[in-house]
Amino acid sequence: MTDVVSAPPTTVAPPPPAPDPTPVPPATASRRRRAGRALGVPVGAVVIALLVGAIVIAVEGHPPLDVYRSMVEGVTGSRFGWRDTLTRACPVVLIAVGLSFAYRARVYNIGPEGQLLVGATAATAWATGPAGSLPGPVLIVTSIAMGAVAGAAWAGLAAWFGNRFGASVVISTLLLVYVAEALLAYAVRVPLKDPAGILPQSRVLGGAELPVIGDVRLHVGVLLAAVVAPVAWLVLQRTRFGFRVRAMGHNSEALEANELPAARIATRVLLLSGGLAGIAGYIQVAGVQGRLIQGLSPGFGFAAITVALVGRLHPVGVVVSGVLLSAMLIGAESAQRDFALPVSAVSMLQALVVVLVVCGDALAYRRWRT
Amino acid sequence: MDAVLTVATLSAALRLAVPVALAALGGLVNERAGVLNLALEGMMISGALGGYLATNETGSPWVGLVAGAAAGALVGLVLSLAVVHVKANQMVAGLGITLLCTAATTYLFRTIFGIGTVPPRIERIGMDALVLLTIALFALAWFVLTRTTLGLALTAAGDAPVAVDALGYRVDRLRTGATVVSGVLAGLGGAALVCGPLGLFLENVTHGRGWVALALVVFARWRPWACLAGALLFGLCDALQLRLQGQATAVPYELFLALPYLITLAALVVRGRASRAPLALGEPFQRATT
Repeated sequence: MTDVVSAPPTTVAPPPPAPDPTPVPPATASRRRRAGRALGVPVGAVVIALLVGAIVIAVEGHPPLDVYRSMVEGVTGSRFGWRDTLTRACPVVLIAVGLSFAYRARVYNIGPEGQLLVGATAATAWATGPAGSLPGPVLIVTSIAMGAVAGAAWAGLAAWFGNRFGASVVISTLLLVYVAEALLAYAVRVPLKDPAGILPQSRVLGGAELPVIGDVRLHVGVLLAAVVAPVAWLVLQRTRFGFRVRAMGHNSEALEANELPAARIATRVLLLSGGLAGIAGYIQVAGVQGRLIQGLSPGFGFAAITVALVGRLHPVGVVVSGVLLSAMLIGAESAQRDFALPVSAVSMLQALVVVLVVCGDALAYRRWRT
Repeated sequence: MDAVLTVATLSAALRLAVPVALAALGGLVNERAGVLNLALEGMMISGALGGYLATNETGSPWVGLVAGAAAGALVGLVLSLAVVHVKANQMVAGLGITLLCTAATTYLFRTIFGIGTVPPRIERIGMDALVLLTIALFALAWFVLTRTTLGLALTAAGDAPVAVDALGYRVDRLRTGATVVSGVLAGLGGAALVCGPLGLFLENVTHGRGWVALALVVFARWRPWACLAGALLFGLCDALQLRLQGQATAVPYELFLALPYLITLAALVVRGRASRAPLALGEPFQRATT
């Protein structure tokens, strides 16, 4: 797993060198400076991307400000705009929380999309099959567990290939996405197919569907994501596991010197990120689609990579960036009705944000490296 | 299986191997110089769209190939700016560029051809020409990498950049060059897919072939001819997959869809130990300032 160990330290803040041992201000000052850079780079990247977006819109012959206003109104104009935004952000945030752990340890799991699909498939198989007669809450909890286990197993395959055979985690997680797609296609065509219909889709989940709250009918998966993120932050900051994950990102050799095999931590963060992706898959089936279909995920797994990086691999930052980037998409869908602009423009801008953030980081931390 | 079918499958294998082989050669050149290239998939898809648009415009698929190579080179230039000059994290920058290229090609394709319309089919190049071109490029790459000073310097830039720097070569310049060449080759691969067997562009038309190419570089242990062999293996699986899909078998056809990726994974697992990986792969070069 050369890629796990040898990547240069740019996504994680390097410890401040503090060459000057003057006693009074350095702690707070350097912390403030670090926070400034941590927020400044993604905010700057989003602003630049919005400017580029304005140019793209102008080239298409639409007034940029009107389009942006229409996007904002699409989200804030009604409670449904908010509901759609949060519903859309939910799976992405869950996955991105897991990726925060993995990427902090420099384990580059870039195939959460596949882990999501496998988790959704396994959870659906469980909920529409052997567990169908369980009482509601038990059914939902066990289905979440099924999704988590299947997603974790899919990511665990990559961990095993990596630790046992030295296969690159980046490539294997990504290749497993295509295998997962084929698995899902088979599942909805043959074993899980709704016998009453012609389309390749599973039966409706029925009792395993997520309860909804409020008159806008927001599904409770959103609450789960809202709880998982702060818990993950605590784990990362306050537990031994969290400390080891961060230590591995800074210096995996120091871990090994303390007889903590980096391979074991790599496996754990892969299992964790895969498990959360699997849960996201179940939530998408049980909270939004109602049944397993092929077009289950419009690339949530890839969007989550963007969200994790823009959220500074910080579980709470991930919530902010996840809601923001989802709002952009929901807004664009509503603006698409008023102006003939393809929504793929938004994916383009979001990918641009990733490139700008990673370059901005390298530039911002350049002074501290020698 | 009778002889006609076998020949048809083998020629299909050759056809399907060409784009992956070219992209893998690009990745190989790049990684030999010490730069990880996770933008390979993005370079391919950009080359594919560039090739399609240029062929559609001019009617000549050869112009399409050149345009595809140019589009790939442009992506290579962006990647080298990000990872060689700005020294950004190579994993994230490459992945970001792939995401950017995938979204941008989808966006451009949709704005140019609209959502309801059927995009036109384009003129195609005969397969023999593309196969010959591929073999020629592999021979050239092998010669340059192993028999010329430039190639040795390039390989050394990936193994011992400090030593190369001490000998008076510019490491960053070598790496930039390698990244742009990688873009040219991967873009050519994408264009070969569209101007060769397909004759049309679809969203996400490369469907992970860039990632397969990346795996093949590891499988080939950074050697050109082994890379070509790996690409042929992939092409064979892809061709078998297409043939078996058409026949009614007891095996679900989705297994065949996954087969090329499964084989690639298996190849990665069997020969994954990166014992011959360039030593400085993925590490930005920083001249010591003392």
